[in-house]
Amino acid sequence: MKNFILTAEGVNKTFDGFKAISDLNFYMDEGELRTVIGPNGAGKTTFLDLITGRSKPDAGTIQFGRESTELTKLNEYQIYRLGIGRKFQTPTVYVDHTVFENILLSMEGSRGVFSALFARVTPAQRERIHDILKTVGLGEKIDAKAGSLAHGQKQWLEIGMLLAQNAKLLLVDEPAAGMTDEETAKTGELLLSLAGRHSIIVIEHDMVFVRQIAKKVTVLHQGTILCEGSVDEVQNNERVIEVYLGRKHHHN
Amino acid sequence: MCKGGGANLRSLFHATMLKTKLAALLLFCSFVCGAVASDETVTRQKLVQAILSSGDEQQKLLSELADDNSKIVHDTLLSWTRDEIYLCETANGGAKIPVLLEEQQDAEGKARAIRIDDGKYLADEKGAELHFDSSDLNTLDTDMRLRSAVQQTLDLLALADPNRDARRDVVQKLGKSQKKQYLPVLQARLGKETDAGVKKAIFVAVATINLGDADPSAKIAAINQLAKLNSIGSLDDLQRAANSQNADVAKSAEAAIKSINGYLSAVNFFGTIFRGISLGSILLVVALGLAITFGLMGIINMAHGEMIAIGAYTCYFVESVFGTGFTFRIVMPFSIGGHAPGFGATIPGLHASGWFYETYFLFAIPLSFVMAALAGLALERTVIQFLYRRPLESLLATWGVSLILQQCFRLVFGANNVQVNSPRWLLGNFTLNDVILGYNRLFVIAFAVLIVIGTWLLLTKTPLGLLIRAVMQNRNMAACMGVRTARVNMLTFAFGSGLAGLAGAFLSQIGNVGPSLGQSYIVDSFMTVVVGGVGNIVGCIYSALGIGTADQVLQQVFGSPVVGKITVLICIILFLQWKPSGLFAARSRSLEG
Amino acid sequence: MKRKTELLAVAIVAILVIVILPLLNASGIVSNFTINLYGKYLSYAVLAISVDLLWGYTGLLSLGQCLFFTLGGYMMGMYLMRMIGNLGQYHMAIPDFLVFLGWNTLPTFWKPFASFPFALMMVVLLPGLLALVFGFLAFRSRIRGVYFSILTQALTYGACLLFFRNNLLMGGNNGFTDFKLLLQQDLRLPATQRMLYISTGILLLLTYCFCRWLTKTKFGKVQRAIRDSENRVLFSGYAAANFKLFVFVASAIIAALGGALYTPQVGIINPSEMATDKSLEAVVWVAVGGRGTLVGPIVGAIFVNTLKSWATRAYPDYWLIILGGMFLLVVLFLPKGIVGLISDCGGWIAEKFKTTPVVPDLKQTPDADSLPNPQPAIRNP
Repeated sequence: MKNFILTAEGVNKTFDGFKAISDLNFYMDEGELRTVIGPNGAGKTTFLDLITGRSKPDAGTIQFGRESTELTKLNEYQIYRLGIGRKFQTPTVYVDHTVFENILLSMEGSRGVFSALFARVTPAQRERIHDILKTVGLGEKIDAKAGSLAHGQKQWLEIGMLLAQNAKLLLVDEPAAGMTDEETAKTGELLLSLAGRHSIIVIEHDMVFVRQIAKKVTVLHQGTILCEGSVDEVQNNERVIEVYLGRKHHHN
Repeated sequence: MCKGGGANLRSLFHATMLKTKLAALLLFCSFVCGAVASDETVTRQKLVQAILSSGDEQQKLLSELADDNSKIVHDTLLSWTRDEIYLCETANGGAKIPVLLEEQQDAEGKARAIRIDDGKYLADEKGAELHFDSSDLNTLDTDMRLRSAVQQTLDLLALADPNRDARRDVVQKLGKSQKKQYLPVLQARLGKETDAGVKKAIFVAVATINLGDADPSAKIAAINQLAKLNSIGSLDDLQRAANSQNADVAKSAEAAIKSINGYLSAVNFFGTIFRGISLGSILLVVALGLAITFGLMGIINMAHGEMIAIGAYTCYFVESVFGTGFTFRIVMPFSIGGHAPGFGATIPGLHASGWFYETYFLFAIPLSFVMAALAGLALERTVIQFLYRRPLESLLATWGVSLILQQCFRLVFGANNVQVNSPRWLLGNFTLNDVILGYNRLFVIAFAVLIVIGTWLLLTKTPLGLLIRAVMQNRNMAACMGVRTARVNMLTFAFGSGLAGLAGAFLSQIGNVGPSLGQSYIVDSFMTVVVGGVGNIVGCIYSALGIGTADQVLQQVFGSPVVGKITVLICIILFLQWKPSGLFAARSRSLEG
Repeated sequence: MKRKTELLAVAIVAILVIVILPLLNASGIVSNFTINLYGKYLSYAVLAISVDLLWGYTGLLSLGQCLFFTLGGYMMGMYLMRMIGNLGQYHMAIPDFLVFLGWNTLPTFWKPFASFPFALMMVVLLPGLLALVFGFLAFRSRIRGVYFSILTQALTYGACLLFFRNNLLMGGNNGFTDFKLLLQQDLRLPATQRMLYISTGILLLLTYCFCRWLTKTKFGKVQRAIRDSENRVLFSGYAAANFKLFVFVASAIIAALGGALYTPQVGIINPSEMATDKSLEAVVWVAVGGRGTLVGPIVGAIFVNTLKSWATRAYPDYWLIILGGMFLLVVLFLPKGIVGLISDCGGWIAEKFKTTPVVPDLKQTPDADSLPNPQPAIRNP
């Protein structure tokens, strides 16, 4: 019996009559790197929203970890504290803080009000931040304001924040958007190196990138799982081909 | 510039009006005067006869006079009851002439005498008017029986008054007197009366008189009758009856009081609901504009209240122009060469009257919309368009504008409240089962319904509405599709401000207009928008009516407007705990897509 | 280096304000009127800092900050009213307005206010508790942005209506006035007023130091993170509501302390002080001075109020237009206020005289699109 890090069963979510997620069942092993693809409006980001507590499902359960903690009853920061980190589709960093501070705020550790009042940056923490910044290639920019970074650099910074958090489950939404091919490849390598120690869900459009990183791919369509399997299996699946090529894209 | 043009217009207008008036007057005189005059002579003759006769004949003549509803009869009989009719014996032989003395006295305290038989001054043979001292003349003799007969005639006259309110007042007065003698008069009137309200008043009056009966069973019958009639005005009388020695009377009186009190609280409740709905309608019109601008542009317009004031002052202005004219002068706070520069304008009044004056409000309504919309347009172009992505800053900047506008109102219209005279067709009210429904409030409700329907049509059925909704849903996409979003913003903002102006026009009919008029409504309308859910018109309607009614009901419950208002505020805060994004939250998927 | 100069500047100004000016007053060079006026300005500056702590540092535009200021003033006022004793118009042991309302004995809740420590405790406690309850409810339901502003405005509006009522037994629309003694000192004596002035100066200094410390801690970093991207803070595991609640309560207490020193110096406290317009005026001070800095609010409060004192005398009819216009201009053209303008000018001059190539200016306006939209954008799928 394998341990699932994430179990979603019978999940439904409707926005003003639009079924964003319908009867979704999703299982993920510990340490797995899963790639989720699907056309626009397939419910990929909504799925991440439901996992991270940004929105609540109308029905269904989402359970996390060995204790099978029910995520739908928790709010964003409680879910984060369980060890679920998320990188957003558009890079979201603290624009008025320096790169250093951005990582510092994301470091694992106490999140309380009063501990924040008396917290000091320890040398160990400082060293860790430097390491992370080196990993994501922002060592030079350590004192720059995050708002002054280029789009790709913001992506990297957000990945760095994810690393600092040391989360058990990483949710990565379109990490390669706005990156050069070289950077994309580097992102792929980074994600691959993290897999195993961490469980990772990657949402991606770029099939080259998907090929690079994916072991198991889940295809979402109209809020439900169309098929799961290796990249080749998925790419040869007739229904997937129909969804991607045979019909017009659904816009939201 | 204004002055010259206005003056021309005025004189032209004046001349026309004058001609029309004169013509109408002449026509009226030639048509009617003759007929009236002959009737009047007959009446006067009857009066003189009644005064000079005596005994049963006099009684008969008096009761005949009761059918003649003319002012002369009324005034003369009234003077009679006050002993102000004098008999003047002519020098040449015995004929007694009844006269009234004029109120105006000359230097010696004497006054001219008006003959009752022809309404002219009493004169001697040579035609010189005679002056009398009241003590020189003989007062007409009266006795108790005669007095009461005259009084009864007067009452009957009053009961036949063409104005139903006047009739009702007399009926109530007669009933309150609890004098049996009025019973036949009231019964007689009941046969002729057509108005339901007056009929009910007569029933109440008869029952009230019977309540004064010594016989307990008659009393109880009267009490039951009052209870059946739900007569709120009889509560005091019934209370007195409840204190009666007779146990049966007291018991039935208490039962009647209980039943009427139940009815009274129902009446109050519905009256409160009615006021609540009318307040809610105003809030609705104000909040609708706010909801549209906020929903569209994410901008809280703190100067929205001043748009209300612009609408209300436009009403005042139009009313002044139809009346005596409007003048203002602003003096600059510095002086050049010894005198302070300033500017001002005088817009002469039309001095309209009658139906024409009454129509001013019909001109004022669209104009208040236009003026507020123009102000909104200017505000959007000069300030708000630079602050679209900064909601908090726009809130602050519009507050700055609001301060400036308030002070401008003070400079132009004065710091004190001004009163806008309502057209007559908005005054008054009608009563539905004792619930008083003011015409002005009914008008507001009706108009709010029209505005909501109009707004809905505008948003759903017009090209502009389509653009507005497109920009509301996805600004960037709309811009990509070639929608000129800046233009849509501008028009929407103007429209929202115009709605506030309309609300101001209504408010001017309900209360006074002052520079800070808008301030007293702005917090409520913000609350309405927040509770309703931003950018949601249906939510806005529910929350406006809900807050308006809750406000009035809680005022009633706590007996204090302030405590009521505070309770509403607390309720709103608690409500937001339950539904943080309002009644009808538009779901946001801002992260996706 | 930079920190040292800042400390030095603060120390110099503090000595000037707290030591030198009172000394000049005691020796008759500076008039009592001036000292009194500046005492008032300094308490306004405390209020302004509390507004800035919320708005400039946390992104919470509270339009009800004057409520806490006035509540603090009222608590102090209750003590001062009790100290009048029987020296009032009616020569009764209870405050005049209560006599006027037909009371013979003191209402229970007035009794403990004869004690100065109790009054001082209430200055902190009442506004603090109100802020705690209101903030808890507001932040729990994630009311933010303009919604928060509107709700705080409604709060102070409601409280203002409440205090106008005589039934509250807090003096109705006249409020409290005709104070006589404070800690056995005659309030009309210049020496007492001087001591009050010095106390206000010290309060301002302490407030400044506290806020400076607070904003430099990790707490301060979270605070600014909430301002820039509250959603991101939630997704970094911080319970933003708790942080906001802490700041809201802290700034309510700061404002209340300012109000407590304001009352004895001005000699009157009434409900019009908590009208919504007053709170917005305090926001103007911060905007004019420069928000997001600690010096800005102080500069703004003193500058705008000096201007107000002059303009309301010289052009009483035009003061509101000046105020509104100034606000409009600052919001539109000078978002960083006076302090921002000066430091920009300083930077520009420094750049002119530098010979070495300059590091490119990294300052950039926050990118509003880069974050989960804090405004609930109305979009349908």
